Amino acid sequence: MATPPLALIAELTHRCPLHCVYCSNPLQLRTNSEELPTGVWTQVLEQAAKLGMFHVHLTGGEPLARSDLNSLVSVAHSLQLYTNLITSGIGMNEKKLASLLAAGLDHLQLSFQDAEESSADRVAGVPVHARKVALANLIHECKNLAFTVNLVVHRHNLDRLDSMILFAESLGPQRIEIANVQYYGWALKNREWLLPTREQVQRSVVIVERAQERLKGQVKIDFVTPDYYASFPKPCMGGWGRQLMLVDPSGMVLPCHAAAVIPGIDFENVREKPLSWIWEESASFRRFRGEDWMPEPCRSCDRRALDFGGCRCQAFLITGDAAATDPVCSLAPTRKLIDERLARANSVTNPGYRSAPAPESADPWTYRSQPA
Amino acid sequence: MASSGSFSSGAGLTTLNRSSQPRLAVGCRVREGEDGVGALLLPEGVLRLKGTAIDILRLCDGRRTYAEILAEMQGRYQSADPKQMEQEIESFLNRLQQRRVIDF
Ligand code: SF4
Ligand code: SF4
Repeated sequence: MATPPLALIAELTHRCPLHCVYCSNPLQLRTNSEELPTGVWTQVLEQAAKLGMFHVHLTGGEPLARSDLNSLVSVAHSLQLYTNLITSGIGMNEKKLASLLAAGLDHLQLSFQDAEESSADRVAGVPVHARKVALANLIHECKNLAFTVNLVVHRHNLDRLDSMILFAESLGPQRIEIANVQYYGWALKNREWLLPTREQVQRSVVIVERAQERLKGQVKIDFVTPDYYASFPKPCMGGWGRQLMLVDPSGMVLPCHAAAVIPGIDFENVREKPLSWIWEESASFRRFRGEDWMPEPCRSCDRRALDFGGCRCQAFLITGDAAATDPVCSLAPTRKLIDERLARANSVTNPGYRSAPAPESADPWTYRSQPA
Repeated sequence: MASSGSFSSGAGLTTLNRSSQPRLAVGCRVREGEDGVGALLLPEGVLRLKGTAIDILRLCDGRRTYAEILAEMQGRYQSADPKQMEQEIESFLNRLQQRRVIDF
């Protein structure tokens, strides 16, 4: 039998006041009318606790767009689940924050698009940066709430990484997460604009190491490196169906954020089946669990227990075959598909080489839309 | 430079000494499991801890000093070499402090 999952990712809604060009939500956003009612989410939380999960990550879209967020936190807390709110902050105010704390919220992760207001707002597609900073100050005053500042980095802000770290530090978090854009959903659509240069990546590694050394014992800095520049893939989600379950706004249960793009897999819905059955029995969660599905070179590779052959969604999105070796792996027969992208990203003729698209440019990037 | 605010969660003092009073940092908690295996819940994940690790963390209540924690553990495990035990506990606590799991 499968070892129980560690955490539930509850994608409460796809509604979001922001339109980030790097959003990893699916292009097919779930509509308002598809969203699960409070009662079903409550059952999902109960089932998650019963399955032995430790954490629930409340995310979206913007989870604050759900009017029942507070009661869901309170249910999760009463089930002894660790509650983590992943938010852009828009929709939060002093009163809501106080009631979330009272409901038992353990941790809040607030994401920033940049340290500079104009660049941040350009990436988010709406002027929200200043309000987020004000909110960070409110959060920082909550002595019993753990606080992480998340910075999403890409071609158009990596050159300012030093000042972004100083900015994040000034907001007073216990942790800073610096995450390179991962190319799924809207981010993949905008990859041409977002993929950094090799030089930017190399410099950022040094900057992060220095900051980690300087802030040792004060702020923990986690760094998600860009896998396109790596030799081996990331162990995405700790492996398919090995550690995590994600429930999307409509109740569809997935092993990760992006898996719904893979054709030919029938993902179950919490309205029809309990989480325990889905985890243990469903064909979708067993599809890429273990090693039987692996092709060569993974099948005989020593790293297969470390990275599980990489990300199935990335394999599908780039090679068209979800059962292929992750193309970012240097041993993958399809690695050239990634190298072609890197060559473009590092070429000065790339239109996005130096700057983000001008607001009225003919070939703009695509802002994440709103669910219908 | 970060304003003093940055460190108001109590992490300003980063060296462990005998009168330090270690405590679990905000956002970190221990969940007791079956058969003595506990889970340390952190914002970014979970660490499964066995026996002495959980015992030590339970003693990190923000009241006991490091000296008291040492004495307590040495009392419980009298057959262990006290010097070696001290080294192990010290490095365990320092590692956890650097991960922002405990504050001194
Ligand atoms: S990445 Fe931006 S647009 Fe996407 S859910 Fe988060 S805040 Fe909203
Ligand atoms: S060949 Fe497969 S298992 Fe080996 S490193 Fe590459 S992706 Fe991982």
